[in-house]
Amino acid sequence: MALSVSDLKDKFRNPGAAELELIARYAMLPESGQRERAFEAFASTGLPHRRMEAWKWTDFKANLKSVEASSRGAQCAPLPAADQAVIEFSAGSVSLPTSLPNGVKLHERKDAQALGDAEEVPLGAMTAALAGRVGGLDTLIIEVTETATTPLHIVAKGDRDETNFTRVSVIVRPGAHLDLVESHVGGAGFSSFLIEIGMQDGGSFNRTVLQHGSADEAQAITAVVNLGDKSEYTQTALAFGAKVARLETRLTHQESGSHAELNGAYLCAKGFHADFTSHVRHGAPSSVTRQVTKGAVLDGGTGVFQGKFHVPRTIGQHTDADMQHQALLLEDGAEVFAKPELEIYADDVECAHGNTSGALDPNQLFYMRQRGIPEAQARALLTEAFIAEALETAHESVRDALTDAARSFLMESVR
Amino acid sequence: MLKLDQLSATVGEDDEAKTIINGLSLEVPAGEVHAIMGPNGAGKSTLSYVLTGRGGYEVTGGSALLEGEDLLEMDPEERAAKGLFLSFQYPVEIPGVPVMTFVRTAMNAQRSARGEEEISAPDFIKRSRELGKQLNLTPEMLKRPLNVGFSGGEKKRLEIFQMMMLEPRFAILDETDSGLDIDALRTVADGVNALRDPARGMLVITHYQRLLDHIKPDKVHVLAGGKIIKTGGPELALRLEKEGYDGVLGEAA
Repeated sequence: MALSVSDLKDKFRNPGAAELELIARYAMLPESGQRERAFEAFASTGLPHRRMEAWKWTDFKANLKSVEASSRGAQCAPLPAADQAVIEFSAGSVSLPTSLPNGVKLHERKDAQALGDAEEVPLGAMTAALAGRVGGLDTLIIEVTETATTPLHIVAKGDRDETNFTRVSVIVRPGAHLDLVESHVGGAGFSSFLIEIGMQDGGSFNRTVLQHGSADEAQAITAVVNLGDKSEYTQTALAFGAKVARLETRLTHQESGSHAELNGAYLCAKGFHADFTSHVRHGAPSSVTRQVTKGAVLDGGTGVFQGKFHVPRTIGQHTDADMQHQALLLEDGAEVFAKPELEIYADDVECAHGNTSGALDPNQLFYMRQRGIPEAQARALLTEAFIAEALETAHESVRDALTDAARSFLMESVR
Repeated sequence: MLKLDQLSATVGEDDEAKTIINGLSLEVPAGEVHAIMGPNGAGKSTLSYVLTGRGGYEVTGGSALLEGEDLLEMDPEERAAKGLFLSFQYPVEIPGVPVMTFVRTAMNAQRSARGEEEISAPDFIKRSRELGKQLNLTPEMLKRPLNVGFSGGEKKRLEIFQMMMLEPRFAILDETDSGLDIDALRTVADGVNALRDPARGMLVITHYQRLLDHIKPDKVHVLAGGKIIKTGGPELALRLEKEGYDGVLGEAA
């Protein structure tokens, strides 16, 4: 029997105004067991808040007193797609391209789909429950059956909207390949994007993400990735943050010999917060993970990195994993929180991690200024060079655009 | 051209402050190359940093003028735009910034500060190729991040490359000869000699007389205890080589 709205309210502990609005939205969507299970998973925590260990530096509940329209349109242009296929998600509608890269098929699901381990990703669970557009698409399934030779673009973009909740599921068939470029450019008071990626044997996937919200918006981008035998997954994200923003990736090496690269860079100005959180489970032997996260933060900005490698006993043997996080605090008043974790039970593995934060090197700055480069420009150039390594794996068609976005931000913001 | 009058400077803060330059006076006219020699700890490198405006040093007295303009009032980048160049004793690695990008950024920043037009890309590339060839720097090397993975000699050649690209009005070479083999020393000296010009002055700081075989100075100054204690012609460098600082300084004192 379906839960009533008042039953739901009981499941939340002290629901705030924003949670009550989310319950009301839930009540407007068609009833379904899948939707209910996802929403119940969300209800068990409500909007994530600082008293939850995994959210102690990224408090959605405190930053989202109510669901209000953003005062802004898109914060920046989406990454350039030229004549490549673009799927655009906005608050009330979805626009699908007329032609798709070869080997790519879209399946529109109007009913809610199940989400595994929904309790692990509260905002993912919320999105799974609320992604439905009344009378329209709930989940867009992207099926890749061969090597797509051009990238597929996804744009999530609002225009002074309250919410933009979107759910996408990608299935990469054996030996197939897709390049996906995502632009999350804000324009909604609360946007949440859930992408599930299932990589079958020998498939490969390159995902490039740009995130830029405004200082009055909350943004969540949640990816749940499962890697099949000898599959390859590469993810590169550049985040400028929002009032509160979280880019979360939960990745599982399900079968042996898979390879994952998770790279990201955050650049946070005053009033902006960006959180990169990842959880990688080596649930099969002989898999490789490489992770480089770089960040630079100005006075009044906040960067968060939480990374975890989990290597179970026996099945995680011969894991090869490396996690690096390096942050630059460009000014007094900049904040960076980092929590790298290795949880290793297998005994024959190579796992390493490194975590540093600091300021720019005064020797480098003086050298550049002696050559005539003004201090602000020298700082911007050094910062750009510092984060560049984390963006090298971006898809080549948008790599320069990502670097340019970082450069113009730094030229404008760094003093 | 460069006129230092009773210049004094300290390093360190408050109680820790230590006087390194102590009433140093020196004048290098346009068109001349002067050498500064001196024992370890005499203040040679400090002098180059004080003149170029590095942080951590405090000028406590005297003046430093370049063509009548007060250097000490300017930020390091302003001094550079006025044409002051330092070839570093220890060139700094700048990861992620290719040599060409770095030099072009510097050149255009200087030009913009002087109200000049930026250099065109073809002109820049042509000039960098020509000079690179003179200094045995391949186009491939000029695409690599500045000083990263370069040998000691290559770094010094890159300093001279930057100097030749930027065409400063006044150049300070701080122990450019250290860490160079004989062939590299000659390459570097050829680069410096090519820049000799009636409108340009140079100050060559060195421990040894060897570099001065290749770069003939108009004058040689001996720096000790933070001031110039003796000035002479090129023959002074030869005497220092033969008699040592103790010999020459003993006579001066």
